[in-house]
Amino acid sequence: MEDLTQLAGRQWLASQADSHTFKDCKQIVAIAAGICNRCGSKVKAKLPSGKYYCQACIGIGRVVEGDYLIRNVQEELFSPVKNGGLTWQGKLTEQQEKISTALVKNFHNRKNTLVHAVTGAGKTEMLFQLIAECMRQGQRACIATPRIDVVNELFPRFQAAFQEIAIGKYHGREFREPGLEQLTICTTHQLMKFYQAFDLLVIDEVDSFPYVGNAQLHFAAKYAVKKSGMRAYLTATPTADLLAEAKAGKLEILKLKRRFHGGLLPVPKEKLFFRQFLKKERINPHLLKEVKKVIQAGHPLLLFVPRVEEIPAYLKALAQDAELKQLKVKGVHAADPQRIEKVQEFRERKLDILVTTTILERGVTFKNVWVIIVAADDAIYTTASLVQIAGRVGRAKDDPDGLVLYCYHRYTQNIRDAILQIKEMNR
Amino acid sequence: MNICLLCQQVFIPELSWIELFSLKKAGQHKFCTQCMKKFEKLTKIRCRYCDKNLSTEGVCRDCQNWTKIYPHKLLKHHALYRYNDSFHDLMVNYKRYGDYALREVLQALCAKELAKLKFDCYIPIPTSPEHQATRQFDTISAIFAELVPLTPLLKKYEKSGAQGEKNKQERLLSPQAFYLETDQHLADNISQGRILLLDDIYTTGRTLYHARDKVLEEFPDAQIESFSICR
Repeated sequence: MEDLTQLAGRQWLASQADSHTFKDCKQIVAIAAGICNRCGSKVKAKLPSGKYYCQACIGIGRVVEGDYLIRNVQEELFSPVKNGGLTWQGKLTEQQEKISTALVKNFHNRKNTLVHAVTGAGKTEMLFQLIAECMRQGQRACIATPRIDVVNELFPRFQAAFQEIAIGKYHGREFREPGLEQLTICTTHQLMKFYQAFDLLVIDEVDSFPYVGNAQLHFAAKYAVKKSGMRAYLTATPTADLLAEAKAGKLEILKLKRRFHGGLLPVPKEKLFFRQFLKKERINPHLLKEVKKVIQAGHPLLLFVPRVEEIPAYLKALAQDAELKQLKVKGVHAADPQRIEKVQEFRERKLDILVTTTILERGVTFKNVWVIIVAADDAIYTTASLVQIAGRVGRAKDDPDGLVLYCYHRYTQNIRDAILQIKEMNR
Repeated sequence: MNICLLCQQVFIPELSWIELFSLKKAGQHKFCTQCMKKFEKLTKIRCRYCDKNLSTEGVCRDCQNWTKIYPHKLLKHHALYRYNDSFHDLMVNYKRYGDYALREVLQALCAKELAKLKFDCYIPIPTSPEHQATRQFDTISAIFAELVPLTPLLKKYEKSGAQGEKNKQERLLSPQAFYLETDQHLADNISQGRILLLDDIYTTGRTLYHARDKVLEEFPDAQIESFSICR
């Protein structure tokens, strides 16, 4: 009999043809009453055989009617770790400390919590005590987030802070199946591979795509955590349904209005444009002027454009300008195979301008960066997106301010609300 | 209201004037305009033989290489779209993950054009039995069976491997993997006819040339051309 300990807390698919039985595992039908038991979706599509299959979670292996889900629920896998394995020596601000303590208390009481903290408040550091407490008790924790970039950003920070804990890092581009680590950092999609695995589940950037409004991922998040476990959500821009849950008393809400360095959030500047931003491969001269201002001020620039298809046009247009020609400019988008490398290059200041879509709207920190949003009035930018993008600026203690520029043709409700929200948090 | 098969979002189909006044149902629209736009049609200037997009009229390098093996007998191929990232994603979902419902997207992309090509007989490129067993459907037949009457003459040997898992060099060097399964009745019908070989993607042409070789062995007088959704 093979050892299934490595697969503790996991669930996986076994086809009907597979007569293998797994010791001590629960075996349930994968599709029952027209519902996929892995992601909770209604199954609608059929194979030629007439069997239903689930389209919603097909990316991690097709669930077909008649297949089984094998669930390996195990208790007490880890032993308590002294000090929770926390090797971090830093100090929290008074406000961070308050939140951190409240989180630990809520973990003891298993009270689900929403942390609403402004961008750059130092949310990651506020999690350290909470994670340490979970490790100290010999329990298992997971930090999940919808974004691959955020996973890549969080992982080294936790590695540095918890040098005695083995941390697993998993997302769709790691091409690895989750293993048995006491602390897992992964995308919310990976949660579908777990079943009642965690005593503590933290979801960072809980209001972001694709988690927000995605019933399958919510389903996965619900079942990845033990019945006796606690969930904590983190965001700078909570959605209405989270706030409603808080109001209904199902979630405790903890608010932090100040950045860790005590400075205010940069309030975005707005600029009205009459002509198109890009016409026949030429950038609007007024927009170009704004780009040059940033470069002259010696700051790296994140240039947000609404659509992937526009990136090459902007790159080409920027390369044609006499002044900007010698700069190092690249473009990045979700499906870019070199996405991770490019983001790293920009972080290391090897690039001057990074033209990007909303994939870099949150969860990433670039020192001294300024941002310009082209077509901030585009429907793709929600209020939360606009607030998050503005939140990329002024995150360092020695450089707490900077330029955020919303370029628009039409002043939208979202732009208005975003600026109001930022001002409200600054009050 | 329709739900887009690709992005799973609700969309309102854009109806042409003809559709508006005809009795056709709007339910025929399988995906939204945003998703539709992601698929690029091949532009006008193409290789005379394989429909590859070129900068100037003529014969592409791939086909020039094929003339070395098939002098004066290049395969006339018909293709519709460029194999771009969106197509790649679609094919990954359809073939690797086995999302059978996506055949309807592929059908919608090629139905009109395929109907314009009048042939006597349509032969789908087969998939290997192992792949068919895991997917529980035949990727090519599933697309075309609902569009044209198929004559599934070609079969693929077991364990012959998939072209999609190889690089260009390996693809070109891959050996003949097809065999014919025919009977007298079929043979009488198609021996003189015009045959169209059907595939999803044309990459090097190796597969389709192999398929043609096999069919010609049995039906040396047949006129054979080929069709794929992308090039």
